[in-house]
Amino acid sequence: MNDNNKHKLQAIRQLTDTTYVLEMERGGMDFKPGQHILLGYNGDIHKREYSIYSGTGDEKLEVLIKEVEDGLVSKHLRQLEKGTLLEVEGPLGFFAIEPELIRQKRKFLFIASGTGIAPFRSMVRSYPGLDYTILHGVKYAHEAYDKKSYNPDRYILCTSRDNGGDFHGRVTEYIRQHDFDKDAICYFCGNFNMIRDAMRLLEEKGIPAEHLHAEVYF
Amino acid sequence: MKYHIVQLGCQMNISDGERVRQVLESMGFVRTENEEEANLLGVIACSVRQKAIDKVYTRIHKWNKWKNRKNLITFVSGCVLPADRERFLKLFDLVFPISELPGFPDMIRQYGIVTPAGLQSLDKGLEHLESMTPEPQVKESVLKPYQVQSEKNNLRPDLGIEEFWHISPKYGSGFEAYIPIQNGCNKFCTFCAVPYTRGREVSRPSDEILEELQNLVNKGYKSITLLGQNVNSYGKDKKGEEITFAELLEKIGQYGEASGKDFWVYFTSPHPRDMGDDVIEVISKYKCLAKQIHLPIQSGDDGMLIRMNRKHSVEKYRRIIHSIRRMIPEATLFTDIIVGFTGETEEEFENTRRIMDEFKYNMAYIAQYSPRPGAASSRWADDVPKSVKKERYHTLTEDLMRHSLEYNKKLIGKTVKVLVRGKDRKTGFLSALTEGKIIVRFPSDDDTLIGQFVYVKINSAVPFSTEGEMVTVDVNALGVDA
Repeated sequence: MNDNNKHKLQAIRQLTDTTYVLEMERGGMDFKPGQHILLGYNGDIHKREYSIYSGTGDEKLEVLIKEVEDGLVSKHLRQLEKGTLLEVEGPLGFFAIEPELIRQKRKFLFIASGTGIAPFRSMVRSYPGLDYTILHGVKYAHEAYDKKSYNPDRYILCTSRDNGGDFHGRVTEYIRQHDFDKDAICYFCGNFNMIRDAMRLLEEKGIPAEHLHAEVYF
Repeated sequence: MKYHIVQLGCQMNISDGERVRQVLESMGFVRTENEEEANLLGVIACSVRQKAIDKVYTRIHKWNKWKNRKNLITFVSGCVLPADRERFLKLFDLVFPISELPGFPDMIRQYGIVTPAGLQSLDKGLEHLESMTPEPQVKESVLKPYQVQSEKNNLRPDLGIEEFWHISPKYGSGFEAYIPIQNGCNKFCTFCAVPYTRGREVSRPSDEILEELQNLVNKGYKSITLLGQNVNSYGKDKKGEEITFAELLEKIGQYGEASGKDFWVYFTSPHPRDMGDDVIEVISKYKCLAKQIHLPIQSGDDGMLIRMNRKHSVEKYRRIIHSIRRMIPEATLFTDIIVGFTGETEEEFENTRRIMDEFKYNMAYIAQYSPRPGAASSRWADDVPKSVKKERYHTLTEDLMRHSLEYNKKLIGKTVKVLVRGKDRKTGFLSALTEGKIIVRFPSDDDTLIGQFVYVKINSAVPFSTEGEMVTVDVNALGVDA
């Protein structure tokens, strides 16, 4: 737990009309890639959980935020001035890779929808040499947030509303049409329906339930 | 001066209330059950359901009307969401997180109230109290310091909880007690507001817990419940500087053996994610660790568990139950279930029915889902019609009754050790609980048995309870059931 819970806002990096990266001072926070924080504007009573987007080696602390229509926090945060104090609680959560699995050089399958890519970016940045494949489901190709952060051979963009990705269709459709290494350790992050359907499909394809780990976005 | 507290919510709130009573009574306040004769009126609030919060608003509006004809102070503490806290600041004289209870006497003094304890030191008579009480209109200026103080802890209501635990509680019973061992929650289940009202998990030092437990046992307490939002994640927040929950139970078990005293220790609530075989094994080893496990499952469908952000699967839960059945076959099993959670389909509900049939719970606290303000799911559509929730609730309750009766019938003819808790609703009967928390009633008018262990031979059973006759037994020759 980081007791020094005030972090200065450094920058807001707009990725799409409704999605942005909020960069703040790290303040010495120690975290495991995949964990989340509870974030709010200093003095505001509303807080929300956001997965950490930056890596453990990065100087700043980043979160990836999608503005929610009528949202009390996501819209407000985007309007803040540089230097504003943010309240951060955490790191929190259990969505992390066991270091032993990395030492064993296991294969990892990361499956994300939308901003659910955030914890995987943190993992990829934190563990150089990680043997991973990312399936990223979005509506449009321009929602491939910070695509350059990933090895192009390991990043598969599934777009459901245009043809600009590597696969036209939902992530679940991609899973249905392809085979996967049955020893892969699978991590899911994003909306509940995608996670539920993707988990069922991978179980049907022979990946054991104990290799499936999920973080729901809500 | 008299005080009256309205206590809402769970065992944690009851336990918190015991510490509030201690603070007030050490200041010279006297408890009254009649709110109209109280000078100090308070609420230990609960945010689990909107109905509980509505009750707080109803009370404070009534109490504030009374201020036109009498001087009184109002306060609210307990589980309060930040948004409600903001509103309460305009309605109550004092609003503070429970972790700030140690500062309560100062708050009252700064408000201008001289308490009987304070008066004695000033050598003044109680008759001056009324004239020294400020008029309600000054409350804004007096309140300010406490708004500031609370804002400090807005994000981390757990700050100061260690000091809160140092307050000796005014136990509500002479033979049953709660011991808080942990406060707050890091799990963020989507239906629950606790992480936003009580903050993050903080473990109480184990030496304090053991001291409180030993004091209770020495005073003759027979049933002690270790309390926390996630008791089995005990110690994890201390990053290796505190013992684990299994180790805490081990120490309690060892103390139980060494003390030669007869008592049962329970705990609630554990989270399946943190439930390891080490905890189950230690329970199996020691007589004083009650063979009753309350393990909330909430839903028997993996999809619903993901939506609830429970961080475990049905299979993981099943493995725990198998371990319990293997290592503690005599243990009774309780759970919590929510029906009609957002998006719950008929198929998902049927999966919950299947696990009810599979695990054959002795008791399940079944709740019809209602959005809890502040919880993540309160931002989702509450899309299962009330009539469907009600129907699912009744269906599950019938299943539960069947399993409960099946178990209870097996007790017929057996002699069980029970803790007598009080008079039963059935005239001329006393009500008791087995170690596994099965209700046993037996005919007796002897009130001196309340708070004592006795033996009862079971002669009839219905769902959720049994009936029998008290017997005298040769303890050495007896195997204890239930």
